[in-house]
Amino acid sequence: MMTEADYYALFEAYQHGELAAPARTDLERRLSSDPVLAQRYADFADLTSTLSSYGQRLSTRRKLRAIQADLDAEQAVKLTVDDEVLETGNPQMPQLHISRTEQKLREFWHGHRATMMVAASVAVLAVFTTLLGLEWWKARQQPTQYGYTVLRRDVDRIKRTQRVMNKAINQIGALPAAINPGKFSGTGFALTSDGYIVTSYHVIQGADSLLIEGRDRQRYRAEPVFSDVAHDLAILRIKDRNFSGFGRLPYSFKRGTAELGEKIYTLGYPREDQVYNDGSLSARTGFEGDSAFYQISIPVNPGNSGGPLLDDRGNLIGIISGRQMDVQSAAFATKSSYLMKLVDSLSSMNSVQPYNLPRTNQLAGSSRPQQIRKLQDYVFVVKVYE
Amino acid sequence: MAKATASYTDDEFVAAIRRGDDRALAQLYRLHLPMVSHYVLQNSGTEDEAKDVYQEGIMVFYEKVRDGSLELSCQIKTYLYAVCRRLWLKRLTEKTRFGGRLDDHEPYLETGAEADLLEAEERDRRFATMGEALERLGEPCRSLLEGFYLLDKSMQQLTADFGYTNADNAKNQKYKCLVRLKKLFFTHYKEEESF
Repeated sequence: MMTEADYYALFEAYQHGELAAPARTDLERRLSSDPVLAQRYADFADLTSTLSSYGQRLSTRRKLRAIQADLDAEQAVKLTVDDEVLETGNPQMPQLHISRTEQKLREFWHGHRATMMVAASVAVLAVFTTLLGLEWWKARQQPTQYGYTVLRRDVDRIKRTQRVMNKAINQIGALPAAINPGKFSGTGFALTSDGYIVTSYHVIQGADSLLIEGRDRQRYRAEPVFSDVAHDLAILRIKDRNFSGFGRLPYSFKRGTAELGEKIYTLGYPREDQVYNDGSLSARTGFEGDSAFYQISIPVNPGNSGGPLLDDRGNLIGIISGRQMDVQSAAFATKSSYLMKLVDSLSSMNSVQPYNLPRTNQLAGSSRPQQIRKLQDYVFVVKVYE
Repeated sequence: MAKATASYTDDEFVAAIRRGDDRALAQLYRLHLPMVSHYVLQNSGTEDEAKDVYQEGIMVFYEKVRDGSLELSCQIKTYLYAVCRRLWLKRLTEKTRFGGRLDDHEPYLETGAEADLLEAEERDRRFATMGEALERLGEPCRSLLEGFYLLDKSMQQLTADFGYTNADNAKNQKYKCLVRLKKLFFTHYKEEESF
């Protein structure tokens, strides 16, 4: 019995032609008749040929490596002869001499070009989306009041003055619109017939001297008697010697709270002339729920501050104080009850010159123009010099 | 042109390489290296990768020539370009999930390189299996077979190297080793084929 190794010896001898003629014909006959043996031979041939071509492959690879090494060495010593390359008709590739760092950068750029492009476009997209989104969101937040862009210039100006008023409400800001620098004006009205005047605290805030001017251009110098910062109230007294009193005041002061929806009006000096405005009482509390103020729907302007607020029957119910910037026609007025409390406490403290508040109301029952005609002489401009 | 080295035409190259002329191979090698390395560098490869790809491409060409089975329907240059292009594409696909297109600076022609490459791949696989089988064969069989088949040493020399008493002993050992190698190689190769 022959082992497989023995067969291999036989096959090798056969391949190399070392078998004697009879043995060879015998083997060939057996190969053609015995499929198992034929398979064995095929495997053997396959194996040996693979082995030898594998050997060739390895040697070729060594050869190529050697060639490449030669080339590298040549390049290293810069011995490359150019015309040898030219001779074989090879187009010369342009050789760039670049530094090591640049080489690295180039490789990096080559490798990550696509990724970086994508990243950059995502970044750009994100930035613009954010900007546009913010813009859109802001536009949504704008109150409808500013819908017309054509109005914007005006609105901007109004906003500026509104900001001033708003500050005034919080008792930190300066005063309403000034005619010339260093001089402010507001409105005031008579508290008693003997020279007490009421205005808003923020009108006289920081004042050096005060001038009261009536409709008839009559001027009086005045001095502050008392200020109530929290309720934005100030009481002035005329100190001119030739002042002889206002005469009988036509209105009276309401001590209680006025009703919602009451028709109300005011007189003031938002400009050089007296201006009348009316509206109604819209809330019992003022800015941010301050219970010392009313909210009123009278269009007021800088300069109206300190003006009297009267109801239909001629009762004085409040003192104009300011308005809210971002809400449409929301103005605020100090409640007259707070003025009354202030006057009461002042008169109990100080008896030098008593407060003779008017007790009767001459306006009730008369028409609005008649009321105003009676009222107009008791409303003054308060001019402030710093 | 002043250089004395004979410049070969394509046909002369093929003939010389078939004869086993290593100088012709070396010349062919350096002739087309710039083209391929330029191509690879253009397509986000490095110098070393270019060399690897080029060597593989030359190998495909060389083995076909030695085999006598090469049918050139175009210039050697075009053939090599096509082969190396395919090889580089394959490598890129393996390296990253490469989705982009390659920048060609020569129109890609139908050169028959595709078919040759398939063949070469099959051969590569075979050689890889063989290499593995040899690794697993263990000593002294491995050295013996490598000496005989890969390094073309004579039986006498091997007998001396491995300290066998005579050439017949060495031969018998060799056959036994072959049988073992056959088992390793074929079981492995068949296994892989069934995938």
